[in-house]
Amino acid sequence: MSEHTVKSYEDELRQLIDSVIKMGSLTESQMADSMDAIIKVDKDSIDKIIKSDDEINKFRSKIDTQIMTLLVKRAPMAIDLRETISSLKISQDLERIGDLSKSNAKKIKPLPQDLPDELLGNLKRLGDLVIKQLKEVLDSFVNKDFDKAKEVWEKDEQVDNLTYIAMESVIDFLSKDKKNLDFSTHLIFATKNLERAGDHITNIAENVCYLVKGEYLKGNRPKGRVIQE
Amino acid sequence: MSDIKIRSKNLNVYYGEKQALFDVNLDLNEKEVTALIGPSGCGKSTFIRCINRMNDVIDICKVTGNIEIDGIEINDKNLDVVSLRERVGMVFQKPNPFPKSIYDNISYGPKIHGKGESKDELDEIVESSLRKAALWEEVKDRLDEPGTGLSGGQQQRLCIARAISVNPEVILMDEPCSALDPIATAKIEELIDELKTAYTIVIVTHSMAQAVRVSQKTGFFHLGKLIEVGETEKIFKNPDNKMTQDYITGRFG
Repeated sequence: MSEHTVKSYEDELRQLIDSVIKMGSLTESQMADSMDAIIKVDKDSIDKIIKSDDEINKFRSKIDTQIMTLLVKRAPMAIDLRETISSLKISQDLERIGDLSKSNAKKIKPLPQDLPDELLGNLKRLGDLVIKQLKEVLDSFVNKDFDKAKEVWEKDEQVDNLTYIAMESVIDFLSKDKKNLDFSTHLIFATKNLERAGDHITNIAENVCYLVKGEYLKGNRPKGRVIQE
Repeated sequence: MSDIKIRSKNLNVYYGEKQALFDVNLDLNEKEVTALIGPSGCGKSTFIRCINRMNDVIDICKVTGNIEIDGIEINDKNLDVVSLRERVGMVFQKPNPFPKSIYDNISYGPKIHGKGESKDELDEIVESSLRKAALWEEVKDRLDEPGTGLSGGQQQRLCIARAISVNPEVILMDEPCSALDPIATAKIEELIDELKTAYTIVIVTHSMAQAVRVSQKTGFFHLGKLIEVGETEKIFKNPDNKMTQDYITGRFG
C-alpha cells in the first residue's frame, strides 16, 4: 500500500502495529512457558510467568495511549480506522489470554510431581494446539491474511474437542481416588482456561478478517464437543 | 430507498480546450445529503454548478450530456434558467450577503420571483426563512441592520436563509463551512441535518469528517471523473476503489 503523505502519521500507525505484534509475541511465549511449566510441574517458573504478565499489561496501556493519540490527531479513515480499531480489540484479547496463562501458572503450586502421563499428555495436546492457534492468528494479523485468520477461526472446533478429551481424563483421574480432588479441580480450571484462550484467539481471528475485508465473518463458528457448564 | 431527484448521464464539461468533467453518471436522492469530495480541481464544484446552470455565465464553458431534475432535462435551451435557479438554490464558500439589510437579503428573492405580494406575506417569508436557517432568534430585533454586519457564521446562515426564501427543492453548498470557526460550522451542520427533511442537498467539502457527519451518500471525484459513489459509511469505512481509499486516508500524491 502506498504511504501517507504525512510521514509522522505513517510512523504512528506502524508503531501501533509494532506494539500489537510485540504484545502478541510476549503473550505467545508466556503461554508456552506456562504450558511447559504445567507439564513439567515446574514450580520454580511460576513467579517468572506471573511477572511476565506485567510486561503484557504495560503494552496494553501503551497501545491504548497510541490509539487515543491516533484518533485525536489523525481521525483515521477506512483501512487506517479498521487497523486502529482492530488493534484496540486485539490487544484486549491478548491481555485476557495473558491473564489466563498467569492463572494457569498459579495452578501449578498444588500439583504433585507424579501426575500420570496420559493426563498430562491430553492437556499438552490441547496446550500445543492453542499455542499454535495463537501463533497463526498473530501471523495472520502481521500479513493481513484473511484466509489464514478464517482457518484459525474454524480450527477452534478442534480446541473444543481436545478440551473435552482433556477434561474427561481429569474427571476420570479424579474419580479413581478422592484424594486427587484437591489438585484435580486446578487441572479442570487450567483446561477450561486453555479453552477460553482459544475463544479469545477466535475473537482475534474475527478482528483480522474485519481489518482485511471490512466485514465480519458471517455465520456461526463451527463448535466441537463442549463440556456442560 | 429514496427517489432520485437529480440524475446526471454522461455529463461532460469543457472550459475551452480543457475538459473538466468526463462522462459523469451520478444519481442524487431526494431529501438526502450527498457529499462530493476530491482534491482541488477534481471537478466537484463544476459538477454542482451544472445543477443550476451556473456554468452558463462562463462564456467558454460547454456542457454535453444530460442533467435531469425530476426526470426533466435542464440543459434544454428553452428552459427558463431563472425559474431553475428558483428551484435550485446555492450557498458559496465565502458568505456573500447583499450589501443590504438583513430583511432585504431575504425578501429580495421572493420579490423578484413574484412571491410575497404584500408586506405581511414578505414578513412571514423573512421570518420563516430565518427560523429555518436557525438565525431568527439572533437577528429578529435588528432586521434593518446590514447583513454584512453579522459574524461570518451568521452571514452564512443568512445566505442559507436567502436560498430557502424562494422555497427551492435543491440546495447546493460549495464548501459552506470553509471560512467558519468550529462552532459556526457545527451550527451549519446541525442546520443541514434539519434541512434535509425538506430539501435535496448537495455539499462540496474538503473536510472528510464533515462529509461523514452530514451526508448519507458520498461521491469521490478525481481529475474530472467520478471514481466512486456510495453510502457514506461504506465509503469511509471500506471503500471499493483504491484511489478513494488513498484519498480519504491521506495517501494521495
